[in-house]
Amino acid sequence: MAEESAAPTIEIPPDLAERAKAVGWPEDLVIMLLGRGAQPPDLVRYMSMGVTAEQVREFVAQQEAGGGASPMPTTQLDLSWMNVPTEWGTRAKPTKKGLTLDAINIGRYGDVPDVWEYKTEMPRGAVATTGVEAMGYTIYEKQELWADNAADLYEEAIQRRWRPASDVDWASLQPLPDDLERAICQICTHFSEKGQLEADVIAGWEPELSYGYHEIKLYLATVVFEGARHAEVFRKRALSNGGGLGIQNTGWSFRSVTDARNFTEFIAIQMVLQDSFTLTQYQLCEARMPQAAEKLLFRLAMQDTARHIAYGIAHLKYVLLNRPERRLELQRYLDKGEAMLIMDEKDTATREAFAILLAGGKDKIQEGLKLYEALRRRQVEQYLERLRWATLDRGTHLNGALRAYLPPEEETA
Amino acid sequence: MPTFPSVEWFEAIRQLVNNDETFRRLGTVDARVGVKVGDKLYEVTFEAFECTGVKEIGEHDLRDLDFWLEQSPDEWRAMLENIKSHGSADLTFTLNTIDLNRPEGFAKSFDGYKRDTFYRFNQSLQHFFDVSAKIDTKFAAAARA
Repeated sequence: MAEESAAPTIEIPPDLAERAKAVGWPEDLVIMLLGRGAQPPDLVRYMSMGVTAEQVREFVAQQEAGGGASPMPTTQLDLSWMNVPTEWGTRAKPTKKGLTLDAINIGRYGDVPDVWEYKTEMPRGAVATTGVEAMGYTIYEKQELWADNAADLYEEAIQRRWRPASDVDWASLQPLPDDLERAICQICTHFSEKGQLEADVIAGWEPELSYGYHEIKLYLATVVFEGARHAEVFRKRALSNGGGLGIQNTGWSFRSVTDARNFTEFIAIQMVLQDSFTLTQYQLCEARMPQAAEKLLFRLAMQDTARHIAYGIAHLKYVLLNRPERRLELQRYLDKGEAMLIMDEKDTATREAFAILLAGGKDKIQEGLKLYEALRRRQVEQYLERLRWATLDRGTHLNGALRAYLPPEEETA
Repeated sequence: MPTFPSVEWFEAIRQLVNNDETFRRLGTVDARVGVKVGDKLYEVTFEAFECTGVKEIGEHDLRDLDFWLEQSPDEWRAMLENIKSHGSADLTFTLNTIDLNRPEGFAKSFDGYKRDTFYRFNQSLQHFFDVSAKIDTKFAAAARA
């Protein structure tokens, strides 16, 4: 029993021991810090910043003096935080776009590690406080979530945000023929549902992503907001011109998004496959909507969704360049996503509504269905073009039902 | 009265959008956009909140662009005259509508990622061309293909 309750022996990793010796940190100090929960990469960082053993002991002593369960009397000062050994003297400069995330990624604050070692909400570049409770993140590897364009996309999303309530001239809407109004309302019901789903699912992933990759967390926060904006704007259109909401989507393709068990799987299906197909539908709606206000709202929605795709394909490219062994895994995620997407064809309401919008009326719905097939071809071509940029060739993996939309020469291109 | 297409014409539009609060309010734009009119090619560069430059380029420069907009001189003229007569593009002449209606495409690129900047900045690009309603344009007969 005595052996079971003894404190575990703390061993210094060889690399850390070597580094500590080189900078004059005694072994007992390193063992004491590890015993308090300090992470080896932290200690290496402090060593490389020139923090001396004496400064460390002083900092620990100050923390101990100021810590404890009893609150400190308000008249007693604890200024140990003023000696925190972070990189000091940083002076980021605004760019033409203002003080952007990229502009503040300087010095060690801009070092994005391949693996994030901390389980807490510690900001990248701050000094960890020992004993802080874990936040329950599950994604700690850069390749699992990173895209080089995320910081820029965040700034772009913030700068290009729009306001459905006042940017769209709702008062200008004129009554439409009943069949056209019903078709537009059905399409808007579908898009509103999609927007809410994207917001919900991404919001669910946010707490999984560790804090070291704040560029990704921030950008995805804008995607949540944009999903909400799309749910809002399409609902508003359905309820603003004498119509109302239509029938709910069958939701087959939604399942591949909600059931994704891996973040890259989710991104591949939601922000590459699904958003790519949605963007083409927005293009079509912008081109065919009968009133200027409707065309504007689809142009603005297009901008948001195109950013989502930019993150999605940049993430896939990052994964494939850094973990090429995941290539087949990504193909399988898309296999599954495409198969579920095809099931959406069972949603006759949305397909027929698109056909009426495309042809301009219910009396020409057969002509509209043919035009809808042409839309499918554009969807597949744009999707494959984006994947090719991410270095992923679907080739024979492409679902046969989607391949059927392509002309023969493009089928395996 | 500037002639379309010419550096002078694009410069006139550049001056207008750079002093246009609506354009700025649409947000930042980062794109190198080509405009191909018959055998004439121009590059229009956007950076942050501004259109930062306009220049004539050659075919070999197309690969450096994010995308380019290509249609015949007559089609460009029809688009700009529509914008002039309505104050902005009407239902049939928005950039996206033209792109969707042309089997051969209107917004073209060698790069699947860069081409999407056409969609990411679409309203700003639309506004750029819509601003041409504020100037009188002379159309170059020589530019007709």
